Amino acid sequence: MRITWRRAELAMLLPLLLLVPLGFVLTHVAEAGKLEPGPLGLALGYLAIMAGAHLVLTLSGHRGDQLLLPVVATIGGVGLVMLNRLPQDLAGTSAFGLQLGMAATQLLWFGVGVVAMLAVAVGFRDDGLLRHYKYTWAALGAALLLATFVFGKEVFGARLWIDLGPVQFQPGEFIKIVLVVFIAGYLAENRALLTGASARIGPISIPPLPYLLPMLAIFVMVMLMVVVLKDLGTALLFFGIFLTMLFVATGRRSYVLIGLILFVAGSFVAYQLFGHVRARVDVWLNPFADPSGAGYQTVHALYAFGRGGLFGEGLGQGLLPSVGGSFPAVQTDFIFAATAEELGLVGAFGLLALALLLVFRGLRIAMLAHDDFSAMLAVGLTTSLGLQTLIIVAGNAKLIPLTGVTFPFVSYGGSSLLASFLVIGLLLSISHRAARVAEPGAP
Amino acid sequence: MLRILLLVLQLAFLGLLYLILFGFARSLLRDLRGAERMERASRTGIGRLAVIESPDGEPPVGRDIALGAINSIGRNVNNTIYVEDDFVSANHAMLTFRGRSWFIEDQGSTNGTYVNGHRVERPVALSYGDELTIGRVRMRLER
Repeated sequence: MRITWRRAELAMLLPLLLLVPLGFVLTHVAEAGKLEPGPLGLALGYLAIMAGAHLVLTLSGHRGDQLLLPVVATIGGVGLVMLNRLPQDLAGTSAFGLQLGMAATQLLWFGVGVVAMLAVAVGFRDDGLLRHYKYTWAALGAALLLATFVFGKEVFGARLWIDLGPVQFQPGEFIKIVLVVFIAGYLAENRALLTGASARIGPISIPPLPYLLPMLAIFVMVMLMVVVLKDLGTALLFFGIFLTMLFVATGRRSYVLIGLILFVAGSFVAYQLFGHVRARVDVWLNPFADPSGAGYQTVHALYAFGRGGLFGEGLGQGLLPSVGGSFPAVQTDFIFAATAEELGLVGAFGLLALALLLVFRGLRIAMLAHDDFSAMLAVGLTTSLGLQTLIIVAGNAKLIPLTGVTFPFVSYGGSSLLASFLVIGLLLSISHRAARVAEPGAP
Repeated sequence: MLRILLLVLQLAFLGLLYLILFGFARSLLRDLRGAERMERASRTGIGRLAVIESPDGEPPVGRDIALGAINSIGRNVNNTIYVEDDFVSANHAMLTFRGRSWFIEDQGSTNGTYVNGHRVERPVALSYGDELTIGRVRMRLER
């Protein structure tokens, strides 16, 4: 077998050899007050994982997108530097007789995530498993959702966790992927009909009823999540993914319009009926009404953005990341505010630019795909990462009400990291298939 | 002294982050130019049929058939897509591109035309990725 070197990927991974250790050293110098490198084990471990991923992709003759892995590795590198900088007792595991701090646990999950990504990227040579069993996947997603309804554990006012003895996981992260697979399969199968004939009521064309029903079913599911799980962020994410995919598949604005009307009506009703929704919106409108209570996180996140200024307070010198436990969810929901304080507007924009690059590459993969299912899948998966980043960043900056979703590859959390890497694995496998077909004389 | 050192290190970190971003931007630019060239070279058609299974070897498995707007499929050599298979009728099916999508219509063949395993009774709109079965020959519509 002839090995094709993934030169672009390697070239863009190399600068990380400097970036990640530099972040670790900077943090240590700021904390210790003297010039010494400090422990670099985690940084080296991270680099080893990414180098391993590159090696496996090269040796398996993978022809997928070469910028995906470096972009993810850069975002994850900045994230790991930030998590290493936070107080290590915020989270962690004591598995296999080892006591692991927060950054070490995250590194462990990076390892698991990368292995899963490689398994999907290299193993999924055929999309039949996803495409032909879409109802099976939908049933799996529904079962996961139901399990969350029944067994879910409430943390910070949202029921997102399932406790499985030694491990806890957030099913929402995986339901997201299953939902995208199902919608992609459904839309690819019915695309011609969806774009075709429709009834008209006055100036608005109404899509045929059989194709409106799944749309309504997903809307009902999302509203149930808001009411029962109190998980506003994931609900918003799911609905956004669905509308985006529907628009991309049909190119019809009427679907989006109907969806948005449903969204506005649903939000209004939810605001009127449910206390937890109203509380979120009220904090968003005026966090300073109760700065030490309900508005505490939002107010201090805003101060953190302000203190950060243009170039930041410096890694290891910010206030918000230092207080640790007394600022809830700084390692998950508010990691962006913490990053913005220490790296400033410049660093925060850098992180956002990387997220944008990820979205750009994902959409490019969708455009180059050779069949509708792969294209729709790539669009949905890309939207899921991009929209999730948008929701949490805008929530941190008080542009929209704060809802607890994770910043992909940056926030602390195993489920989120594993799910995000699965998404990258799927994108890699889609682009690999497109590249194989494009090559003349391929088997 | 330490403050200056920290400031220098901080700026180095941010500078490196932006160098990486610059590298990505350059790769993207190169890639866009390449894609433009590729587009001109290969993407002239509206679709292709990839042959997945063909027991008698005509068309051979693995061939990509470039499609025009109107394609007739059958065992008669005058068809645009000539299929050598005992289970294929002389004039078997028509594959046409109308408006924004592909349609397949059976031409009264003996053994029928199948899309994703379902027999076609009237003209049916196709999506990219759909599988056509004509006789024992399986082909996939691709972009």
